[in-house]
Amino acid sequence: MDVSDLKKNAKLEIDGTPWVVTDFQFVKPGKGQGLYKCKIKNMLTGSVVDRTYRSGEKLTAANVESKKMQYLFSSPDAFTFMDNETYEQIELAHDVVGDAKFFLLDNIQCDVLLYNERPVGVSLPSHIIMEITECEPGVKGDTATNVTKTAQVETGKEIQVPLFIKLGERIKIDTRTGEYVERVNK
Amino acid sequence: MRAWDQALQAVRAYFRGQGSREVLTPVRLPEVALEPYIEPVRAEGGLLATSPELPMKQLLGEGAGDIFQVAPVFRAAEQGRLHREGFHLIEWYRRDADEREVRADVEGLIAAVFVALGREPVLDWSSVGFLPLLESTTSVRLRGDEDAEALAAAVPASWQVEPPASMPAGARDLFAWSALLTSWSDAALDPWLAEQPGGVHVLDYPAPLAALAQLGPARLEGGEVAHRFESYIGGVELANGYHELRDPAEQRLRFERVAALRSGHGLQPLPMPERFLGGLERLPACAGAALGFERLLMLSTGSDSVGDVSLLGR
Repeated sequence: MDVSDLKKNAKLEIDGTPWVVTDFQFVKPGKGQGLYKCKIKNMLTGSVVDRTYRSGEKLTAANVESKKMQYLFSSPDAFTFMDNETYEQIELAHDVVGDAKFFLLDNIQCDVLLYNERPVGVSLPSHIIMEITECEPGVKGDTATNVTKTAQVETGKEIQVPLFIKLGERIKIDTRTGEYVERVNK
Repeated sequence: MRAWDQALQAVRAYFRGQGSREVLTPVRLPEVALEPYIEPVRAEGGLLATSPELPMKQLLGEGAGDIFQVAPVFRAAEQGRLHREGFHLIEWYRRDADEREVRADVEGLIAAVFVALGREPVLDWSSVGFLPLLESTTSVRLRGDEDAEALAAAVPASWQVEPPASMPAGARDLFAWSALLTSWSDAALDPWLAEQPGGVHVLDYPAPLAALAQLGPARLEGGEVAHRFESYIGGVELANGYHELRDPAEQRLRFERVAALRSGHGLQPLPMPERFLGGLERLPACAGAALGFERLLMLSTGSDSVGDVSLLGR
Protein backbone atom coordinates (compact mmCIF):
# COMPACT_ATOMS: atom_id res chain seq x y z
CA MET A 1 0.00 0.00 0.00
CA ASP A 2 1.01 3.63 -0.51
CA VAL A 3 1.34 6.09 2.39
CA SER A 4 -1.55 8.05 0.88
CA ASP A 5 -3.77 5.08 1.86
CA LEU A 6 -2.99 5.68 5.55
CA LYS A 7 -5.94 6.49 7.74
CA LYS A 8 -7.24 5.75 11.19
CA ASN A 9 -7.66 1.99 11.72
CA ALA A 10 -5.45 1.11 8.74
CA LYS A 11 -3.49 -2.06 9.53
CA LEU A 12 0.20 -2.25 8.73
CA GLU A 13 2.72 -5.02 8.82
CA ILE A 14 6.10 -3.94 10.19
CA ASP A 15 8.85 -6.52 10.73
CA GLY A 16 6.35 -9.35 10.71
CA THR A 17 4.03 -7.78 13.29
CA PRO A 18 0.56 -6.33 12.68
CA TRP A 19 0.01 -2.71 13.79
CA VAL A 20 -3.12 -0.59 13.70
CA VAL A 21 -3.11 3.19 13.13
CA THR A 22 -4.83 4.75 16.16
CA ASP A 23 -4.16 8.40 15.44
CA PHE A 24 -3.32 10.13 12.21
CA GLN A 25 -2.35 13.63 11.15
CA PHE A 26 -1.49 14.88 7.64
CA VAL A 27 0.73 17.93 7.17
CA LYS A 28 2.29 19.23 3.98
CA PRO A 29 4.07 22.40 2.97
CA GLY A 30 3.02 23.75 -0.45
CA LYS A 31 5.12 21.78 -2.89
CA GLY A 32 7.02 19.63 -0.40
CA GLN A 33 6.47 16.05 0.59
CA GLY A 34 3.49 15.31 2.79
CA LEU A 35 4.09 13.97 6.29
CA TYR A 36 1.78 11.33 7.69
CA LYS A 37 2.19 11.46 11.46
CA CYS A 38 0.78 8.32 13.00
CA LYS A 39 0.38 6.68 16.36
CA ILE A 40 0.41 2.96 15.80
CA LYS A 41 -0.52 0.17 18.17
CA ASN A 42 1.02 -3.26 18.14
CA MET A 43 -1.95 -5.59 17.69
CA LEU A 44 -0.20 -8.39 19.57
CA THR A 45 1.22 -6.56 22.58
CA GLY A 46 -0.85 -3.36 22.66
CA SER A 47 2.23 -1.12 22.85
CA VAL A 48 1.88 2.26 21.10
CA VAL A 49 4.60 4.14 19.21
CA ASP A 50 4.85 7.25 17.01
CA ARG A 51 5.78 6.82 13.36
CA THR A 52 6.03 9.47 10.65
CA TYR A 53 5.84 8.47 7.01
CA ARG A 54 6.57 10.64 3.95
CA SER A 55 4.98 10.94 0.53
CA GLY A 56 6.28 8.25 -1.77
CA GLU A 57 7.08 5.67 0.91
CA LYS A 58 5.67 2.20 0.46
CA LEU A 59 4.04 0.27 3.28
CA THR A 60 2.81 -3.27 3.67
CA ALA A 61 -0.80 -3.77 4.65
CA ALA A 62 -1.27 -6.38 7.37
CA ASN A 63 -3.56 -9.24 6.50
CA VAL A 64 -5.68 -8.96 9.62
CA GLU A 65 -9.31 -9.83 10.06
CA SER A 66 -11.64 -10.21 12.97
CA LYS A 67 -14.16 -13.07 13.08
CA LYS A 68 -17.16 -13.57 15.34
CA MET A 69 -16.69 -16.82 17.21
CA GLN A 70 -18.25 -18.65 20.10
CA TYR A 71 -16.17 -20.09 22.96
CA LEU A 72 -16.85 -23.79 23.43
CA PHE A 73 -14.50 -25.42 25.93
CA SER A 74 -10.96 -25.59 27.17
CA SER A 75 -8.40 -28.33 27.58
CA PRO A 76 -4.98 -28.21 29.26
CA ASP A 77 -3.47 -27.29 25.86
CA ALA A 78 -5.91 -24.92 24.28
CA PHE A 79 -9.21 -23.08 24.18
CA THR A 80 -11.63 -24.15 21.46
CA PHE A 81 -13.78 -21.66 19.59
CA MET A 82 -16.31 -22.09 16.81
CA ASP A 83 -16.67 -19.81 13.80
CA ASN A 84 -20.27 -18.50 13.79
CA GLU A 85 -20.53 -18.68 10.02
CA THR A 86 -18.74 -21.86 9.05
CA TYR A 87 -19.14 -23.80 12.35
CA GLU A 88 -15.48 -24.64 11.95
CA GLN A 89 -13.68 -25.17 15.26
CA ILE A 90 -10.29 -23.67 15.98
CA GLU A 91 -7.96 -23.96 18.94
CA LEU A 92 -6.22 -21.00 20.56
CA ALA A 93 -3.17 -21.57 22.73
CA HIS A 94 -3.25 -20.33 26.33
CA ASP A 95 -0.72 -17.54 25.70
CA VAL A 96 -2.79 -16.23 22.77
CA VAL A 97 -5.93 -16.05 24.90
CA GLY A 98 -4.02 -14.41 27.77
CA ASP A 99 -6.06 -12.70 30.48
CA ALA A 100 -9.23 -13.10 28.44
CA LYS A 101 -9.37 -16.62 29.83
CA PHE A 102 -10.77 -15.24 33.10
CA PHE A 103 -13.87 -14.08 31.28
CA LEU A 104 -14.50 -17.03 28.98
CA LEU A 105 -17.97 -18.11 30.00
CA ASP A 106 -19.37 -21.09 28.16
CA ASN A 107 -20.76 -20.11 24.74
CA ILE A 108 -19.69 -16.48 25.05
CA GLN A 109 -19.41 -14.54 21.76
CA CYS A 110 -15.95 -13.07 21.05
CA ASP A 111 -14.04 -11.45 18.21
CA VAL A 112 -11.06 -13.59 17.31
CA LEU A 113 -8.28 -11.67 15.58
CA LEU A 114 -6.63 -13.53 12.69
CA TYR A 115 -3.27 -12.42 11.29
CA ASN A 116 -2.33 -14.20 8.07
CA GLU A 117 -5.20 -16.54 8.95
CA ARG A 118 -3.52 -17.46 12.24
CA PRO A 119 -5.40 -16.58 15.44
CA VAL A 120 -3.40 -14.03 17.45
CA GLY A 121 -5.86 -12.67 19.97
CA VAL A 122 -9.37 -12.59 21.41
CA SER A 123 -11.41 -9.53 22.19
CA LEU A 124 -14.33 -9.85 24.54
CA PRO A 125 -17.49 -7.82 24.92
CA SER A 126 -16.56 -4.80 27.08
CA HIS A 127 -18.93 -5.90 29.85
CA ILE A 128 -20.04 -9.36 30.93
CA ILE A 129 -22.23 -10.69 33.71
CA MET A 130 -20.98 -13.45 36.01
CA GLU A 131 -22.19 -15.21 39.12
CA ILE A 132 -20.43 -15.05 42.49
CA THR A 133 -19.34 -18.56 43.43
CA GLU A 134 -17.36 -17.83 46.58
CA CYS A 135 -17.34 -14.94 49.01
CA GLU A 136 -17.76 -13.96 52.62
CA PRO A 137 -21.34 -13.30 53.76
CA GLY A 138 -22.86 -10.01 52.68
CA VAL A 139 -22.95 -7.12 55.11
CA LYS A 140 -26.21 -5.17 55.11
CA GLY A 141 -26.43 -1.42 54.95
CA ASP A 142 -22.81 -0.77 54.09
CA THR A 143 -23.40 0.56 50.57
CA ALA A 144 -21.93 4.01 50.92
CA THR A 145 -18.28 3.22 51.62
CA ASN A 146 -15.64 2.05 49.24
CA VAL A 147 -14.65 -0.89 51.38
CA THR A 148 -14.42 -4.08 49.32
CA LYS A 149 -13.87 -7.78 49.83
CA THR A 150 -12.49 -10.49 47.61
CA ALA A 151 -14.98 -12.73 45.81
CA GLN A 152 -14.64 -15.45 43.22
CA VAL A 153 -16.73 -15.67 40.06
CA GLU A 154 -17.70 -18.75 38.07
CA THR A 155 -14.55 -18.80 35.94
CA GLY A 156 -12.45 -18.85 39.11
CA LYS A 157 -11.28 -15.25 38.76
CA GLU A 158 -10.95 -13.28 41.97
CA ILE A 159 -12.43 -9.84 41.96
CA GLN A 160 -12.92 -7.00 44.46
CA VAL A 161 -16.62 -6.39 45.21
CA PRO A 162 -18.54 -4.19 47.68
CA LEU A 163 -19.35 -5.72 51.06
CA PHE A 164 -23.11 -6.11 50.36
CA ILE A 165 -22.56 -8.63 47.55
CA LYS A 166 -23.76 -12.14 48.43
CA LEU A 167 -22.98 -15.65 47.23
CA GLY A 168 -25.01 -16.57 44.15
CA GLU A 169 -25.64 -12.97 43.08
CA ARG A 170 -24.77 -11.82 39.58
CA ILE A 171 -22.48 -8.85 38.88
CA LYS A 172 -21.43 -6.87 35.85
CA ILE A 173 -17.67 -6.76 35.17
CA ASP A 174 -15.65 -4.53 32.85
CA THR A 175 -13.46 -6.98 30.91
CA ARG A 176 -10.94 -4.27 29.94
CA THR A 177 -10.04 -3.46 33.55
CA GLY A 178 -11.28 -6.62 35.26
CA GLU A 179 -13.22 -4.46 37.71
CA TYR A 180 -16.65 -4.77 39.31
CA VAL A 181 -19.21 -2.39 37.78
CA GLU A 182 -22.56 -3.13 39.47
CA ARG A 183 -24.86 -5.74 40.92
CA VAL A 184 -27.34 -7.19 38.45
CA ASN A 185 -30.85 -7.77 39.76
CA LYS A 186 -32.57 -10.85 38.48
CA MET B 1 -23.05 30.02 4.75
CA ARG B 2 -23.29 33.71 5.54
CA ALA B 3 -19.50 33.87 6.01
CA TRP B 4 -18.98 32.21 2.60
CA ASP B 5 -21.24 34.74 0.93
CA GLN B 6 -19.62 37.70 2.68
CA ALA B 7 -16.11 36.47 1.92
CA LEU B 8 -16.89 35.82 -1.75
CA GLN B 9 -18.41 39.28 -2.06
CA ALA B 10 -15.34 40.82 -0.44
CA VAL B 11 -12.99 38.92 -2.79
CA ARG B 12 -14.93 40.06 -5.84
CA ALA B 13 -15.17 43.66 -4.61
CA TYR B 14 -11.43 43.72 -3.96
CA PHE B 15 -10.46 42.53 -7.44
CA ARG B 16 -13.07 44.61 -9.26
CA GLY B 17 -11.69 47.61 -7.37
CA GLN B 18 -8.29 46.73 -8.81
CA GLY B 19 -9.69 46.66 -12.36
CA SER B 20 -9.48 42.85 -12.59
CA ARG B 21 -12.04 40.72 -14.47
CA GLU B 22 -13.57 37.54 -13.11
CA VAL B 23 -13.24 34.43 -15.27
CA LEU B 24 -14.25 30.77 -15.01
CA THR B 25 -12.10 28.07 -16.58
CA PRO B 26 -12.86 24.35 -17.03
CA VAL B 27 -12.48 22.02 -14.06
CA ARG B 28 -11.61 18.98 -16.16
CA LEU B 29 -8.44 19.61 -18.13
CA PRO B 30 -6.33 17.70 -20.65
CA GLU B 31 -3.15 18.58 -18.74
CA VAL B 32 -2.02 20.16 -15.47
CA ALA B 33 1.28 21.72 -14.41
CA LEU B 34 3.66 19.00 -13.18
CA GLU B 35 4.45 19.91 -9.59
CA PRO B 36 6.28 17.93 -6.95
CA TYR B 37 3.97 16.08 -4.53
CA ILE B 38 0.76 17.45 -6.01
CA GLU B 39 -1.25 14.55 -7.36
CA PRO B 40 -4.17 15.25 -9.66
CA VAL B 41 -7.46 13.39 -9.41
CA ARG B 42 -8.00 11.50 -12.64
CA ALA B 43 -11.28 12.12 -14.40
CA GLU B 44 -12.40 10.08 -17.37
CA GLY B 45 -10.75 11.66 -20.39
CA GLY B 46 -8.69 14.17 -18.40
CA LEU B 47 -7.55 15.43 -15.03
CA LEU B 48 -9.35 17.59 -12.50
CA ALA B 49 -7.64 20.96 -12.09
CA THR B 50 -5.03 21.03 -9.31
CA SER B 51 -5.05 24.80 -9.90
CA PRO B 52 -6.49 26.98 -12.68
CA GLU B 53 -3.00 28.18 -13.60
CA LEU B 54 -2.63 26.72 -17.09
CA PRO B 55 -6.03 27.78 -18.50
CA MET B 56 -5.68 31.25 -16.95
CA LYS B 57 -2.24 31.65 -18.52
CA GLN B 58 -3.77 30.55 -21.82
CA LEU B 59 -6.32 33.40 -21.49
CA LEU B 60 -3.50 35.84 -20.77
CA GLY B 61 -1.64 34.60 -23.85
CA GLU B 62 -4.77 35.27 -25.89
CA GLY B 63 -4.82 38.89 -24.78
CA ALA B 64 -6.79 38.97 -21.53
CA GLY B 65 -5.98 41.77 -19.09
CA ASP B 66 -5.82 41.32 -15.31
CA ILE B 67 -8.03 38.36 -14.34
CA PHE B 68 -9.12 36.48 -11.22
CA GLN B 69 -11.33 33.59 -10.26
CA VAL B 70 -12.42 31.50 -7.30
CA ALA B 71 -11.77 28.04 -8.68
CA PRO B 72 -12.72 24.56 -7.44
CA VAL B 73 -9.54 22.47 -7.40
CA PHE B 74 -8.66 18.90 -6.44
CA ARG B 75 -5.53 17.27 -5.05
CA ALA B 76 -5.61 13.54 -4.51
CA ALA B 77 -5.08 12.06 -1.04
CA GLU B 78 -4.75 15.34 0.84
CA GLN B 79 -6.84 15.17 3.99
CA GLY B 80 -6.04 16.82 7.30
CA ARG B 81 -6.66 19.85 9.50
CA LEU B 82 -5.52 22.17 6.69
CA HIS B 83 -6.19 19.90 3.72
CA ARG B 84 -9.12 18.60 1.73
CA GLU B 85 -9.03 16.71 -1.56
CA GLY B 86 -11.40 19.28 -3.01
CA PHE B 87 -11.14 22.96 -2.13
CA HIS B 88 -11.18 26.44 -3.70
CA LEU B 89 -8.31 28.64 -4.80
CA ILE B 90 -8.57 32.37 -5.31
CA GLU B 91 -6.18 32.78 -8.22
CA TRP B 92 -5.28 36.00 -9.98
CA TYR B 93 -2.86 37.46 -12.51
CA ARG B 94 -1.58 40.99 -13.07
CA ARG B 95 -0.02 41.97 -16.39
CA ASP B 96 3.22 43.95 -16.54
CA ALA B 97 3.76 43.22 -12.86
CA ASP B 98 6.20 41.20 -10.79
CA GLU B 99 5.59 39.13 -7.66
CA ARG B 100 5.90 42.15 -5.37
CA GLU B 101 2.65 43.58 -6.72
CA VAL B 102 0.67 40.37 -6.25
CA ARG B 103 2.20 40.09 -2.79
CA ALA B 104 0.62 43.46 -2.02
CA ASP B 105 -2.66 41.96 -3.33
CA VAL B 106 -2.34 39.12 -0.81
CA GLU B 107 -2.24 41.68 1.99
CA GLY B 108 -5.08 43.77 0.52
CA LEU B 109 -7.29 40.77 -0.18
CA ILE B 110 -6.86 39.27 3.29
CA ALA B 111 -7.57 42.64 4.92
CA ALA B 112 -10.72 43.05 2.79
CA VAL B 113 -12.07 39.63 3.78
CA PHE B 114 -11.16 40.06 7.46
CA VAL B 115 -12.95 43.42 7.56
CA ALA B 116 -16.00 42.00 5.74
CA LEU B 117 -16.24 39.28 8.41
CA GLY B 118 -15.80 41.71 11.28
CA ARG B 119 -12.25 40.72 12.27
CA GLU B 120 -9.25 42.92 12.93
CA PRO B 121 -7.32 43.09 9.65
CA VAL B 122 -3.76 41.76 9.83
CA LEU B 123 -1.91 45.01 9.31
CA ASP B 124 1.60 43.95 10.18
CA TRP B 125 3.34 41.98 7.49
CA SER B 126 7.00 41.14 7.46
CA SER B 127 9.16 39.66 4.72
CA VAL B 128 12.06 37.29 5.18
CA GLY B 129 14.29 35.42 2.75
CA PHE B 130 14.07 31.61 2.58
CA LEU B 131 17.77 30.93 3.21
CA PRO B 132 18.32 33.57 5.93
CA LEU B 133 15.23 32.24 7.73
CA LEU B 134 16.52 28.68 7.40
CA GLU B 135 19.78 29.79 8.99
CA SER B 136 18.18 31.79 11.83
CA THR B 137 15.77 28.97 12.76
CA THR B 138 18.17 26.01 12.43
CA SER B 139 21.76 27.33 11.97
CA VAL B 140 21.86 25.46 8.64
CA ARG B 141 23.62 27.76 6.20
CA LEU B 142 23.12 27.12 2.49
CA ARG B 143 23.85 29.01 -0.75
CA GLY B 144 20.79 27.71 -2.57
CA ASP B 145 22.54 25.96 -5.44
CA GLU B 146 23.66 22.81 -3.58
CA ASP B 147 23.10 19.46 -5.22
CA ALA B 148 21.56 16.52 -3.35
CA GLU B 149 24.90 15.28 -2.01
CA ALA B 150 26.00 18.69 -0.73
CA LEU B 151 22.59 19.20 0.84
CA ALA B 152 22.70 15.83 2.59
CA ALA B 153 26.10 16.74 4.04
CA ALA B 154 24.87 20.11 5.29
CA VAL B 155 21.63 19.22 7.11
CA PRO B 156 20.78 16.83 9.99
CA ALA B 157 20.40 13.19 8.89
CA SER B 158 16.89 13.14 10.41
CA TRP B 159 15.79 15.48 7.62
CA GLN B 160 16.00 12.56 5.20
CA VAL B 161 17.07 14.64 2.20
CA GLU B 162 19.17 11.90 0.65
CA PRO B 163 17.39 10.57 -2.43
CA PRO B 164 16.55 6.85 -2.49
CA ALA B 165 18.43 4.69 -4.99
CA SER B 166 15.31 4.55 -7.19
CA MET B 167 15.51 8.31 -7.84
CA PRO B 168 16.70 9.13 -11.40
CA ALA B 169 19.72 11.46 -11.71
CA GLY B 170 17.56 14.30 -13.06
CA ALA B 171 15.33 14.30 -9.97
CA ARG B 172 17.84 13.92 -7.15
CA ASP B 173 18.29 17.63 -6.45
CA LEU B 174 14.56 18.32 -6.63
CA PHE B 175 13.94 15.41 -4.25
CA ALA B 176 16.54 16.70 -1.79
CA TRP B 177 15.27 20.29 -1.81
CA SER B 178 11.64 19.19 -1.48
CA ALA B 179 12.58 16.95 1.45
CA LEU B 180 14.50 19.84 3.00
CA LEU B 181 11.43 22.06 2.76
CA THR B 182 9.26 19.42 4.42
CA SER B 183 11.71 18.59 7.20
CA TRP B 184 12.55 22.20 7.94
CA SER B 185 8.84 23.11 8.01
CA ASP B 186 8.13 20.32 10.44
CA ALA B 187 11.16 20.81 12.67
CA ALA B 188 11.49 24.58 12.86
CA LEU B 189 9.73 26.73 10.27
CA ASP B 190 6.10 25.95 11.21
CA PRO B 191 6.68 26.43 14.95
CA TRP B 192 8.46 29.72 14.23
CA LEU B 193 5.70 30.91 11.88
CA ALA B 194 3.03 30.00 14.42
CA GLU B 195 4.62 32.40 16.92
CA GLN B 196 4.65 35.42 14.60
CA PRO B 197 1.95 37.92 15.55
CA GLY B 198 1.39 39.30 12.03
CA GLY B 199 1.55 37.95 8.50
CA VAL B 200 4.83 36.66 7.08
CA HIS B 201 5.96 36.48 3.46
CA VAL B 202 8.79 34.06 2.80
CA LEU B 203 10.66 35.27 -0.30
CA ASP B 204 13.63 34.50 -2.50
CA TYR B 205 13.22 30.74 -2.87
CA PRO B 206 16.28 28.72 -3.89
CA ALA B 207 16.29 27.97 -7.64
CA PRO B 208 15.49 24.22 -7.24
CA LEU B 209 12.16 25.26 -5.62
CA ALA B 210 11.32 27.84 -8.30
CA ALA B 211 8.25 25.91 -9.56
CA LEU B 212 6.80 28.22 -12.25
CA ALA B 213 8.64 31.39 -11.17
CA GLN B 214 11.36 33.37 -12.94
CA LEU B 215 14.87 33.48 -11.56
CA GLY B 216 16.48 36.83 -10.76
CA PRO B 217 18.46 38.76 -8.20
CA ALA B 218 17.31 38.30 -4.59
CA ARG B 219 14.80 40.90 -3.45
CA LEU B 220 16.29 41.00 0.06
CA GLU B 221 19.89 39.72 0.04
CA GLY B 222 22.03 37.12 -1.70
CA GLY B 223 22.54 35.96 -5.28
CA GLU B 224 20.18 34.56 -7.88
CA VAL B 225 16.91 33.18 -6.51
CA ALA B 226 13.41 32.36 -7.67
CA HIS B 227 10.96 35.26 -7.68
CA ARG B 228 8.49 33.26 -5.68
CA PHE B 229 6.87 33.91 -2.30
CA GLU B 230 4.65 32.14 0.20
CA SER B 231 2.45 34.01 2.68
CA TYR B 232 1.57 32.77 6.16
CA ILE B 233 -0.65 33.90 9.03
CA GLY B 234 -0.35 32.19 12.40
CA GLY B 235 1.65 29.36 10.82
CA VAL B 236 -1.04 28.66 8.22
CA GLU B 237 0.23 28.72 4.65
CA LEU B 238 -2.23 30.87 2.73
CA ALA B 239 -0.80 32.00 -0.57
CA ASN B 240 1.89 31.27 -3.13
CA GLY B 241 2.92 33.69 -5.87
CA TYR B 242 5.34 33.99 -8.77
CA HIS B 243 6.81 36.41 -11.19
CA GLU B 244 5.75 34.07 -13.96
CA LEU B 245 8.33 32.19 -15.99
CA ARG B 246 7.87 32.72 -19.76
CA ASP B 247 10.73 30.63 -21.12
CA PRO B 248 9.33 27.41 -22.66
CA ALA B 249 12.71 25.62 -22.69
CA GLU B 250 13.37 26.30 -19.00
CA GLN B 251 9.76 25.42 -18.10
CA ARG B 252 10.04 22.11 -19.98
CA LEU B 253 13.24 21.30 -18.12
CA ARG B 254 11.49 21.88 -14.77
CA PHE B 255 8.50 19.76 -15.76
CA GLU B 256 10.89 16.99 -16.86
CA ARG B 257 12.52 17.05 -13.42
CA VAL B 258 9.12 16.62 -11.79
CA ALA B 259 8.29 13.81 -14.21
CA ALA B 260 11.56 12.11 -13.19
CA LEU B 261 10.74 12.63 -9.50
CA ARG B 262 7.35 11.01 -10.09
CA SER B 263 8.91 8.02 -11.81
CA GLY B 264 11.42 7.71 -8.94
CA HIS B 265 8.47 7.43 -6.56
CA GLY B 266 6.78 4.89 -8.81
CA LEU B 267 3.86 7.23 -9.59
CA GLN B 268 1.83 6.90 -12.75
CA PRO B 269 3.16 9.28 -15.44
CA LEU B 270 1.23 12.45 -16.28
CA PRO B 271 1.05 14.00 -19.76
CA MET B 272 3.70 16.64 -20.47
CA PRO B 273 1.69 19.90 -20.71
CA GLU B 274 2.55 20.39 -24.40
CA ARG B 275 -0.39 22.68 -25.12
CA PHE B 276 0.72 25.00 -22.31
CA LEU B 277 4.40 24.88 -23.31
CA GLY B 278 3.44 25.57 -26.94
CA GLY B 279 1.64 28.77 -25.93
CA LEU B 280 4.06 29.94 -23.25
CA GLU B 281 5.95 32.25 -25.64
CA ARG B 282 2.80 34.30 -26.04
CA LEU B 283 2.36 34.77 -22.27
CA PRO B 284 2.78 38.48 -21.53
CA ALA B 285 4.99 39.65 -18.67
CA CYS B 286 2.87 38.98 -15.58
CA ALA B 287 2.74 37.87 -11.99
CA GLY B 288 0.18 35.65 -10.33
CA ALA B 289 -0.77 34.18 -6.99
CA ALA B 290 -3.15 31.65 -5.50
CA LEU B 291 -4.72 31.82 -2.06
CA GLY B 292 -6.64 29.02 -0.33
CA PHE B 293 -10.23 30.20 0.12
CA GLU B 294 -11.19 27.75 2.91
CA ARG B 295 -8.02 28.54 4.86
CA LEU B 296 -8.73 32.26 4.59
CA LEU B 297 -12.28 31.62 5.79
CA MET B 298 -10.95 29.47 8.62
CA LEU B 299 -8.65 32.27 9.80
CA SER B 300 -11.20 35.01 9.35
CA THR B 301 -13.88 33.14 11.33
CA GLY B 302 -11.47 31.95 14.04
CA SER B 303 -12.10 28.29 13.15
CA ASP B 304 -9.72 25.48 13.89
CA SER B 305 -9.69 23.50 10.66
CA VAL B 306 -10.79 23.75 7.04
CA GLY B 307 -13.36 21.07 7.85
CA ASP B 308 -15.05 23.49 10.26
CA VAL B 309 -15.75 26.00 7.47
CA SER B 310 -16.72 23.50 4.79
CA LEU B 311 -20.22 24.26 3.47
CA LEU B 312 -21.29 20.64 3.21
CA GLY B 313 -19.94 19.49 6.54
CA ARG B 314 -16.63 18.04 7.60
